[in-house]
Amino acid sequence: MTGRPVEDFVSCNPEELAQKCSLSYKALVAVRRVLLAQYTAFPISGADLYQELLSSTAILSTGSPSLDKLLDSGLYTGEITELTGSPGSGKTQVCFSVAVNISHQLKQSVFYIDTKGGMCVNRLLQMLQTRTSNVEEQASVGGGSVKAVIVDSVPAVLSSMLGGKQNEGMSLLMQVAGELKMIAKDFNIAVLVTNHVTQDGNGCLKAGLGLSWSHVPRTRVLLQRVENPGVSSSSLRTATLTKSSRQPCHLVEDFDLCNWSDERNSVSGKRKLESS
Amino acid sequence: MQRTVPSLPLAPSVKVRLLHAGFHLATDLTDMCPLQLCKAAAISHEEAVEVLQMLRCDTQPHQEKAATEGITALDLLHKEEAQGSIVTFSSRLDDVLGGGVPVGKTTEICGAPGIGKTQLCMQLAVDVQIPVCFGGLGGKALYIDTEGSFVVQRVADMAEAAVKHCSLLAEDTEQKQALEELTVEKVLSSFFLVRCHDYVELLAEVYLLPDFLAEHPEVRLVIIDSIAFPFRHDFENLSQRTRLLNGLAQQLIRIATQHSVAVVLSNHMTTRLLNGQSKLVPSLGESWGHTATQRLILHWEGSKRLASLYKSPSQMEATIQYQITVQGFRDAQDEPMPTVESSAVSSQTGNSSKRPRREDQS
Repeated sequence: MTGRPVEDFVSCNPEELAQKCSLSYKALVAVRRVLLAQYTAFPISGADLYQELLSSTAILSTGSPSLDKLLDSGLYTGEITELTGSPGSGKTQVCFSVAVNISHQLKQSVFYIDTKGGMCVNRLLQMLQTRTSNVEEQASVGGGSVKAVIVDSVPAVLSSMLGGKQNEGMSLLMQVAGELKMIAKDFNIAVLVTNHVTQDGNGCLKAGLGLSWSHVPRTRVLLQRVENPGVSSSSLRTATLTKSSRQPCHLVEDFDLCNWSDERNSVSGKRKLESS
Repeated sequence: MQRTVPSLPLAPSVKVRLLHAGFHLATDLTDMCPLQLCKAAAISHEEAVEVLQMLRCDTQPHQEKAATEGITALDLLHKEEAQGSIVTFSSRLDDVLGGGVPVGKTTEICGAPGIGKTQLCMQLAVDVQIPVCFGGLGGKALYIDTEGSFVVQRVADMAEAAVKHCSLLAEDTEQKQALEELTVEKVLSSFFLVRCHDYVELLAEVYLLPDFLAEHPEVRLVIIDSIAFPFRHDFENLSQRTRLLNGLAQQLIRIATQHSVAVVLSNHMTTRLLNGQSKLVPSLGESWGHTATQRLILHWEGSKRLASLYKSPSQMEATIQYQITVQGFRDAQDEPMPTVESSAVSSQTGNSSKRPRREDQS
């Protein structure tokens, strides 16, 4: 026989319960106290928290100076960062670059969850080759513990279950959110997810998956194409910060999807300046 | 990791009852017998049996599968190199696509009526059958026609041109031997056509595709021409359409990766008003745009036909010019051809009458 949940016991009035199961009121209060103590969260002092933050949080550079500037120097471990944007806005490219940068520059492993078949390893190799021409260096990529989990993309598998009269999708979505947060926090991992955009009534772009998901990522970046009249396609993109706890929102930065990998010298030069 | 009750594929009302009765993990339920469960959780006997049956066949395999599926990028690179891609017979388009239409990925071809979407689809269906010794894949093609725009005579034309092209290239004995088997009849016979009249038929066909592909493992290309047509009318509830499309998209991606076939979808264009200006955009909405791995947009510029790669995880965005001849989809001829293979193509097309096709086909 399985027991009733603890919450039933705790939410009951001890006086009524004492009458029901003929136990002393005192004993019941004591049991209740033990249970509550077992399930409660303990307060941590701000100083301890800060110490922990300094010792365990890492900031993983994305490899692009402008995107790093937008994200306050990179992806933070223990947090969920989200990239949103319309098709072809460069979300997957940013994910690739981040994966290559973390595994090559920072020598850490990356766990990449591809839900829409967009993984293109040739492109990863190409990015790696533009960073270093040394084949040995190319082979000795990664190796450390997993420091980043990239999910490209969340709605691809879930959006068919959302909407209408289905409750299933929402509960699965929240479960995914819970698991991702747990992974980020407990294992000190930077989580990068991608999301679609939808248009609201005014034709403005907003991130997909609804309001309850919008509370999940700590930082949210909207990627957009730069529309130049006359030029049909370009690799220029703008990134807009739409949610952040560190930087002012609506910060806009430009970046170039090609130069990300091509002009490696300028990138590393800028980083040297920043670090000195 | 233990699976929790809320994540199980159960009816919400049953889940609430189970949670209320104190069952939080799937493992709590496995040792129960149906009678116990229906008493403890206050659910009907049928529901209890259903829950337990679902648990037996569902939980374990899924978790184990997910845990072992992680592969390194290096393994993936070898796999990707082995899969290859389907040439388009337009060398410039091949360059833009990085060697052709990639196997294992989904490619969407969007364009206005008469621009040549169906022509490109038919061309690919022929090209996938080029033997391995000529640098092709030697596979078969499945063509799902939803518009009724498929013309078998055109495929025969294109097949004839492709056979001729290969015969010009044949040098060693292996190639000559392969050439003997490569006939128009052979090309046409390893080509499957399915005609779907509405979206229900299309959905049924796509969800049954894994069985077909298991029976015909040589199929390397699945074409749906077009994905937009069945979904552009008959829908009162637009959110239902979006959900159906999302499910379809997921199934197509699964087919592409699990059976290593190239999936090619053609799509219409629609007008969208943006800041008071009308603009041609691919139809089926914004969220559909995320589905395909690559998106190719065909459009007119004056009398020139242009193809633009709009979205690709591996290639730069680029625009090239092409033409549609009797032989099929080819490079436009105003510029010198860069590679050897394409010069063979151009000389061949140069000999024949260059009749630009009109808008009667697609």
